[in-house]
Amino acid sequence: MKENKMKTMAWLIISVSFLITIFFGYQIVQKSRMETDLDKYMPQDHPAFVYSDQAEAWFNIKDGILIAVENEQGIYNSGTLQKIKDITLQLQAMPEFEAADVVSLFTADNIVGTEDGLDVRSFYREVPSSAEVLKKLQSDVETNEMVHGRLVSEKGNVALVVAALNDTAFSMEFYQNILAFAHSFEGPEKVYVAGVPVVEGTMAFLGPKDMKTMVPIVVLAIVLVLYTVMRSVRNTFSTLMVVLLSTVWTFGLLALLNIPIYAVSIMIPVMLIAIGVADGIHLYSHLDLFLMENKGATKVQAITNMLKNMWKPVMMTSVTTAIGFISLLTSEVLPIKYFGLFTAFGVMAAMVFSLFLIPSFIFVLGTKKQKTLKTRDQSHTGFGADFAVKVLKYKVLVVSITVILGVISVVGIGKVWINSSFLENFEKSSDIVQTDAFINQYFGGTSTINVILESENEGVMTKHETLQLLSEMQLSVEKVEKVGGSFSIADYIKRMNKVMHADDEHYNSIPDDDELIAQYLLLYEMSGDPENLWKVTDYDSKKANLTFQLKSDNSKELKKTIEAIEIFKPRLEELGISLNYAGSGYKALVFTGLILEGQIKSLVMSVIIIILLITLMFRKFTIGLIGSVPVVLTALLSFGLMGLLNIPLSTTTALISSIAVGIGIDYAIHFMERYKIYSQETGDKLLTTKLTMSHSGRAITFNAVVVILGFLVLLFSVFPPNRSLGALVSFNMLTSFVATVTIMYLLLYKSNIFFKKKS
Amino acid sequence: MKKSHFAAFVVLAGLISLAQPVWSQMNGKQIMEAVYTRPSGSDLQGDLTMTLTNKQGDERVRQLRQFITDNGSIEKTLMFFLSPADVRNTSFMSWSYADGKDDDQWIYLPALKRTKRISSDSKGDYFMGSDFTYDDLGDRHPDEDNHTLLREEKLGNYDCFVVESTSKQPGYMYSKTITWVNKDNFIGLKREFYDEAKMPLKTLYIHKFEKINSFWTILETEMVNTQKNHRTKMVFSNVKINQGIPDNKFTERSMTLGQ
Repeated sequence: MKENKMKTMAWLIISVSFLITIFFGYQIVQKSRMETDLDKYMPQDHPAFVYSDQAEAWFNIKDGILIAVENEQGIYNSGTLQKIKDITLQLQAMPEFEAADVVSLFTADNIVGTEDGLDVRSFYREVPSSAEVLKKLQSDVETNEMVHGRLVSEKGNVALVVAALNDTAFSMEFYQNILAFAHSFEGPEKVYVAGVPVVEGTMAFLGPKDMKTMVPIVVLAIVLVLYTVMRSVRNTFSTLMVVLLSTVWTFGLLALLNIPIYAVSIMIPVMLIAIGVADGIHLYSHLDLFLMENKGATKVQAITNMLKNMWKPVMMTSVTTAIGFISLLTSEVLPIKYFGLFTAFGVMAAMVFSLFLIPSFIFVLGTKKQKTLKTRDQSHTGFGADFAVKVLKYKVLVVSITVILGVISVVGIGKVWINSSFLENFEKSSDIVQTDAFINQYFGGTSTINVILESENEGVMTKHETLQLLSEMQLSVEKVEKVGGSFSIADYIKRMNKVMHADDEHYNSIPDDDELIAQYLLLYEMSGDPENLWKVTDYDSKKANLTFQLKSDNSKELKKTIEAIEIFKPRLEELGISLNYAGSGYKALVFTGLILEGQIKSLVMSVIIIILLITLMFRKFTIGLIGSVPVVLTALLSFGLMGLLNIPLSTTTALISSIAVGIGIDYAIHFMERYKIYSQETGDKLLTTKLTMSHSGRAITFNAVVVILGFLVLLFSVFPPNRSLGALVSFNMLTSFVATVTIMYLLLYKSNIFFKKKS
Repeated sequence: MKKSHFAAFVVLAGLISLAQPVWSQMNGKQIMEAVYTRPSGSDLQGDLTMTLTNKQGDERVRQLRQFITDNGSIEKTLMFFLSPADVRNTSFMSWSYADGKDDDQWIYLPALKRTKRISSDSKGDYFMGSDFTYDDLGDRHPDEDNHTLLREEKLGNYDCFVVESTSKQPGYMYSKTITWVNKDNFIGLKREFYDEAKMPLKTLYIHKFEKINSFWTILETEMVNTQKNHRTKMVFSNVKINQGIPDNKFTERSMTLGQ
């Protein structure tokens, strides 16, 4: 092709690329939207979620915002009681809450025994002021276990107002309003705001917000490191353009297709940065080497040589990486499917840019100044070559270390767990964690598990056998360390049985008489607010809702509690009762399980696909196996180390193993392709290794250094999950890199693969 | 409009205005007093079927036999549960006093073989877990509210007064109620209830009323809580009025005897 014609072509490619980018950029600005409703992340048709949603509707199960009012002198004074009343009434009047969903000492039922019967009273309506009435109120609370320790702390210094909220009603603005509202009641009391909606909402908000600040800093760091290794503004610029343009195209396509941005979508630029710079680095590395070896070569010659040598590995690495991400389509979680699909799209876009845009840039902007290029001979000396020799020399050591690390990782991998805790994503010293700890110190717990019991037959839940078993189950499960309380229909019956027997503690139990139980319930309905009953059972007593309160939302604690509950399953089944779970905590647990399972499934699948693809590319199964070694090692070490160190995965960090595949395979393919070319050129095994290490090894090192340093910047993030993200990406890059230039290279060398015919 | 039609219209209008005098002088207060004091006999007995429906569409049906006597100063009610079976013969008695004294209420639980007094503050206003409060069932004296006649209009086939009532005592559970009163017999046919935040809360409908023993008697009524999506239907049957129920029927002892 004539130079002029090529020049026109280059400009055309650049213009078209930027025009399309502007189009996609416009789409992002116009149509992009964030999805912050966590329920939308979960597979809506998964049986566990379908069931939980249904049960939540039956019993009006919602997560509550907790407002705690602390008075060190005790809450039994007119000032504090007035505040509890005001907070309750004003929350009830807010459009975000239904009046019946706001519960406090002010709204609570006080079921009491009187001389001649039973009374369901309020603890107070008008705020009492006389010492006598206040004292009476205190003793009413302290003798009522349905309230004591639930709405008022046992020490009597903290009172709780619980306001259940619809999932969708939470926004950061609303949270700020509630905070301001709550704090307006301070002095001398202290007021705290906590609860699942607050934690979830803040996290959904804080993660992406922190990413927005951190991504530009990461990009800046990568620019600096890129420049340091490339020593060229042009090369740095065009490599960066590949990353930026592919990111814009990906998000533009998301916007164009009206797909919202989920929290995991913030991983897309992370992946594209880590993967996208690789092509540029390898292309430029080749270009530089070519120019060093061929002083005086023209621009056209250099570009032609670069493309001729590099189009194949660039394409191979991109296709394998994309397929690795596409394997995430096996996940049951919609945002992860999108993540896989669109990262794959981004990777392919980056490939197109690398093969078309980079040469165009080189053409338009020119190559490095000749004088900055060092003269090189057939580089079989130098660091790369030395390293290649050293690895061969210490092969026993390399193999042993690999085997040891591998074995250790396999042990650790069994211990990998994924934490569905939202709270543990925050700093221990953060307000949100501190408030939560404060409330957990005085009350049953800020997290809940709802156990839903169901029977085919009417009236089963109010039979004494059932209630006695429920009561026994509550006592038994409450022995689990983090379980701070429980509540069920049995508590109502016990309370009524007690007060109907002159507050005799002996009768704080389930009576043996079904008719008496039915009559107690009728009595309660006639005296109190039956609405409360429908939170624990249903109209025909076929269903019951048993709530356990936990002082932690950590997955391990949730699982321990569920194990303790499951013990009762057979005995419930004997009574014809089935047991299921509901509520946001349980859903989060199932959800994270799905993510981990899907992640491992897709990892195994992508490794198999990659082995096949490499086999196909190099027409040799052994190469496929050798090429998969860095990938497998990276995944093993990444999961193994976390398992061993007891660091739980989170929903986003679980996805990082995808990067192990995406990047690990790139290093391997570049290295093997170069190795193959040199083996054919030289026919000398040692020379081939030295040359490959100086060529590909050099580019891989650059690539690894750029991405590792770039992502280490995330360690300065204020949001802990983003810190672990940075650490993990860096760690995975390091493993992939080291594994490629040591053990994989060694295996390649020992296998004699490209030399067999000649020897 | 044709001339003949116009003439007919004038005549009709004249007839209506002739019939009007009794009503046209009535103000909101008088209308509501007429509703309250509408003759209902001195005693009543009959069966009540109460059907509660929640937002999921689940239904609970309770059957009761009730006896009521009213001597002008005390209204005594005695009810026995007929079903469901596990509460059969549970009985409930209430004495409500015209002078505004708090109601006395008793319940007899056969499983406990004991009669218990129940008393309750405002929480217990709802009648047996239904959407009716005791006030809704007719306990509320018109003096407790201010009444304004809003307009006169037809409700279905009935000419009605539309009266708005607001409580004199601040903080009452309803900010206002609007009642459609049948002009012919002073039966409230429909009533809208507004909550403390002035939002529509419930609507009461009278589906069926008949003259029994020369007294207008409501036989089917329904309360729909639109905020909770919950409804209560009450159907009265075998209603007998002025049969002369002896006063000793309304004692704690007779509560234990079953109906």
